[in-house]
Amino acid sequence: MKSHWRDGDRVREVELQPLGHGRWRVRVDGSEFELSSEAMPDGRLRLVGGAPAEGGSGVTVAEVTPEGARRFVRLGVLDFVLERAGSGKVRAGAGSHDGGLSAPMPGVITKVMVVVGDEVTRGQPLLALEAMKMEHLIRAPREGRVKRVGASPGQMVQAGAELVELEA
Amino acid sequence: MFKKVLIANRGEITCRVAATLHEMGIRTVAVYSEADRGALHTRVCDEARWIGAAEARESYLNIDAVVSAARESGADAVHPGFGFLAENAAFAEAVAAAGLTFIGPTPAQIRAMGDKREARRLADAAGVPIVPGAEGADAKALVRAANAMGYPVIIKAALGGGGKGMQSAHDAKHLAEAIEAAQRVAASAFGDESVYVEKLLEHARHVEVQVLGDGKGRAVHVFERDCTLQRRHQKVVEEAPAPTLTADQRAIVTHAAVRLAEAVKYRGAGTIETLITREGHVYFLEMNTRLQVEHPVTELVSGIDLVRAQIEIAATGELPFEQHEIKRHGHAIEARLYAEDAANNFLPQVGVASRVRWPDGPFVRVDSGVESGDAVGVHYDPMLAKIIAYAPTREAAIERLLGALDDTRVHGVVTNLPFLRALLRAPAVRSGSYDTEWVEREFLAGFAALMRAPAPDLALAAVAIAEASGAPLSKPTANGAAPAIDPFAQLGRWRQAGLAE
Repeated sequence: MKSHWRDGDRVREVELQPLGHGRWRVRVDGSEFELSSEAMPDGRLRLVGGAPAEGGSGVTVAEVTPEGARRFVRLGVLDFVLERAGSGKVRAGAGSHDGGLSAPMPGVITKVMVVVGDEVTRGQPLLALEAMKMEHLIRAPREGRVKRVGASPGQMVQAGAELVELEA
Repeated sequence: MFKKVLIANRGEITCRVAATLHEMGIRTVAVYSEADRGALHTRVCDEARWIGAAEARESYLNIDAVVSAARESGADAVHPGFGFLAENAAFAEAVAAAGLTFIGPTPAQIRAMGDKREARRLADAAGVPIVPGAEGADAKALVRAANAMGYPVIIKAALGGGGKGMQSAHDAKHLAEAIEAAQRVAASAFGDESVYVEKLLEHARHVEVQVLGDGKGRAVHVFERDCTLQRRHQKVVEEAPAPTLTADQRAIVTHAAVRLAEAVKYRGAGTIETLITREGHVYFLEMNTRLQVEHPVTELVSGIDLVRAQIEIAATGELPFEQHEIKRHGHAIEARLYAEDAANNFLPQVGVASRVRWPDGPFVRVDSGVESGDAVGVHYDPMLAKIIAYAPTREAAIERLLGALDDTRVHGVVTNLPFLRALLRAPAVRSGSYDTEWVEREFLAGFAALMRAPAPDLALAAVAIAEASGAPLSKPTANGAAPAIDPFAQLGRWRQAGLAE
């Protein structure tokens, strides 16, 4: 069983092989180790063993909460967030891709500063997006001509919504 | 005393105010927008009234809707909390016009202190030194004024508060852009686009004084708070007492604050914010005519319930205690937990806080607005909770707060918990040697590097095993037990520990 998970800006691969009686052989990005797992009455996992580089044979209480494509993982007192890779869902990030510009977070468009046909320079503000207390300027990632504007002032947009398309 | 109070707010502060009202035997009314149907703050109150659409302007900022709800519920007073309408003089007037008591200052006081120019004049008259600055709606004039006073400068909403829309600018070009952005935020948040430009005092500490006034010219202070740890002018960690304040400086700021409060015959709870420069000069920043987000640290060191004091002053017109009765013991420190992704430029996060567990040890206080399963939406401030620890010394209070943060678990929506944990472990924070710009200038780069470290292989293994065993593996629990075994305490290289080697 192989799966891929986005961890920050990298994609991690984990492969799991059941050995029976709660034991597993795990391979993470090519490094292999064994551990055993036991579901605790409250649903958390009691893991024994682990990667030698991470201290190896100890006991760890792990809690995994699925939320959409994301998995919130608590190991001991530390939290990590992984996201299933290849699920088509992109982490809300800088929002610039293939000449298009998408909303980095859900919010309300407060201002559109360009129209179709405008020549823009790198760094030029294109739209203003307000989310909670802050206004965020969406800037051109490179120079180009505005091919399409997908938002108007007052419009509520979701994270990832295509806002502006640029052509070279 | 009041029989029933409507709390014109949402989230954690509504829950906080309701707790005191319930303790006083006063019935509580919550209000909620479409987005907050079933939210925690509506469940903790005795009744809840719908006031409009999700957008704040339609609901929590809608004076008519809130006042109608108050009247229809039969409330005899309104507590505004903080944010939203708390510093809106028209709201205070509308509440009074409806025959209800506004638990807060007079409309004239709100108006005077909400207008930066007037506030500065009043502070100046009361002998509190003020920072050079300029106000107006004309961006060009503001830029000219900034050119004259010298950069960097800071832009604030003239009628705002709470750091909303605040930005700094280091040259005229950025100032023009920042003014425009601040005007839009000001218009949307406060209904007035006027902004204010003030010289940015560098290497300063933010120290504020809690005051209570009877509205007749008597005021007392409940000591100071230090809110120097800020990111983008948003406070993230606050404490009392201020760790670097000398006895002389404490005397100066507290006396100045009381003088100002008495000069304006201030009524209720208010805060005089000051900046203290490296050279030890004290400058008036502004007066907030409301309860502060960070009021719990003052409550913990003084033993005074500030919300109760607000209510008693509103009901009786008398201060509940004399200055000499107000004592301070120990140290309290608060961390603000936000739904924001510290690894990704602190972008606000939305989602469902599907599993939440708050810490509960001795001398740990949590003021929260969400429970497991509650939605965190796009419409409002992303603060989820304040986690506060008290101890005899600052060092012990920080340790206790770190322990409390270890026991805090919010799954389902990304929070700034890793940021708070790393921040409180930073040597400069431990030693108290930082200023209001320190987080951005010196802390964030190292923190970003920590956040870029990969998750441990074991995290991937745990996810894969959970998937293989059929998700969801564990039932959401409102308050699961703390982990019995923590083998990771010594594994400092992991990013979230912030235990950089």
